[in-house]
Amino acid sequence: MKKNNTALEQGLISCHDCGKLAQKTIELAVCSRCGGTLHSRLPHSFQRTFALLVSGFALYIPANLFPIMTVTKLGVGEPHTILGGIVALIYGDMLPIAMLVLVASILVPLLKLLGLSLLLLCVHYRWQVNAKIWTRMYRIISFVGRWSMLDIFMISILVSLVQLGSVAQVIAGSAAATSFASVVILTMFAAKSFDPRLIWDVQNNI
Amino acid sequence: MTIHKMIDYEKNIKMRSNVRIENKKPKSGHKNNRCESKYLACPECDLLLQQILAVAGDKVHCPRCDYLLHRPRDQSISRTFALSLAGLFLLFPANFLPMIGVKALGSYHDGTLLDGAFTLFREGMWGVAILVFFSSIFFPVLSIVLSLLISGHLYFNRPNRHLSFWLRTLQHIDEWAMLEVYLIGIIVACVKLASMAELKFGLGLTAFVLLLFVSLMLANNFDRALFWQRIEQLKIHEKK
Repeated sequence: MKKNNTALEQGLISCHDCGKLAQKTIELAVCSRCGGTLHSRLPHSFQRTFALLVSGFALYIPANLFPIMTVTKLGVGEPHTILGGIVALIYGDMLPIAMLVLVASILVPLLKLLGLSLLLLCVHYRWQVNAKIWTRMYRIISFVGRWSMLDIFMISILVSLVQLGSVAQVIAGSAAATSFASVVILTMFAAKSFDPRLIWDVQNNI
Repeated sequence: MTIHKMIDYEKNIKMRSNVRIENKKPKSGHKNNRCESKYLACPECDLLLQQILAVAGDKVHCPRCDYLLHRPRDQSISRTFALSLAGLFLLFPANFLPMIGVKALGSYHDGTLLDGAFTLFREGMWGVAILVFFSSIFFPVLSIVLSLLISGHLYFNRPNRHLSFWLRTLQHIDEWAMLEVYLIGIIVACVKLASMAELKFGLGLTAFVLLLFVSLMLANNFDRALFWQRIEQLKIHEKK
């Protein structure tokens, strides 16, 4: 038996921007305090997150296959993929930095894509789960997303700094960098458009 | 207060404050307004909760999903005002002074924060360039300017019809200003470069690190509930 203890069941809407409670009405209303549009749940949360995730998965492949930057030393260039750059760091005896890049640019995007897919599956198939833990997972996913930008920033710094003509030059790989940046942005938007209240809505006995 | 006691205290608050409301319908009709301000819903699990008075130092969590509902701060408005002023002064050196210089085989080249985005743009990667520009320059600048505008108006009790729009914008761009990620990017780039060239650190980098500290302190001092409450008060005051 479900208890009527959520705002939705009591006919109330909490403003997404300022947190003020308002009575639910049939037509679209705006918050009396901040002017934001009121929604009980984020509109089309499932569909939007799903679409963003699918595009994220698709772009994750070129992001890892194409070289993300080419380091030219004295006229000899060697292109690196994201994984190749990490291997180069390990061979250069910089294991902690290599681990940092590995976590930020390979593990975080991948785990984010998989984690959000699990959340969507959970909502769609109405899995009875420990919603508290799943909400915590969602919170971690939306917190770590921005750290994947690390690789993009590093490339932009290297490209702008290392312009020593024939001595050394760093050229960014357009295809990989653009698709990697898109993966980061798409997953950040996906996390933002997913509504964690849906996890609680599908639980039968809370 | 020892750590153990502090944790106990926090737990205490959690238990006392957010009593679940079960099968208790908020009164409707003309008493509506009073009722609505007495309750709040958890933004992550939609549980209806009773509003409580928390003082600075307390952390109010949702009893069901553990979401941090409210964390009052001492003098949030005046501190935000002071910090955003400091941030405004730091913006110029952080953006325009050279951060890192590279010296190898007699040639020298240094770059500012702006160069990163512009070089990518010149190389034809405008998508990534725009992203870098927005997350490392535009959104940090905008968030400091908005913090200054909002806290300034609240500090001097000046109502403005754009206040709520500004605060909403500030909340939305918050996630996209990535100064701390950029700093780690600088560190990784420096480690990669250290083997092949001599590095020189400029004043721009110092200003950038200070700016990062200011924006972290801003985020830490920001008391969302208080800001919305004060904006509402100013609005009502203006109508009278």
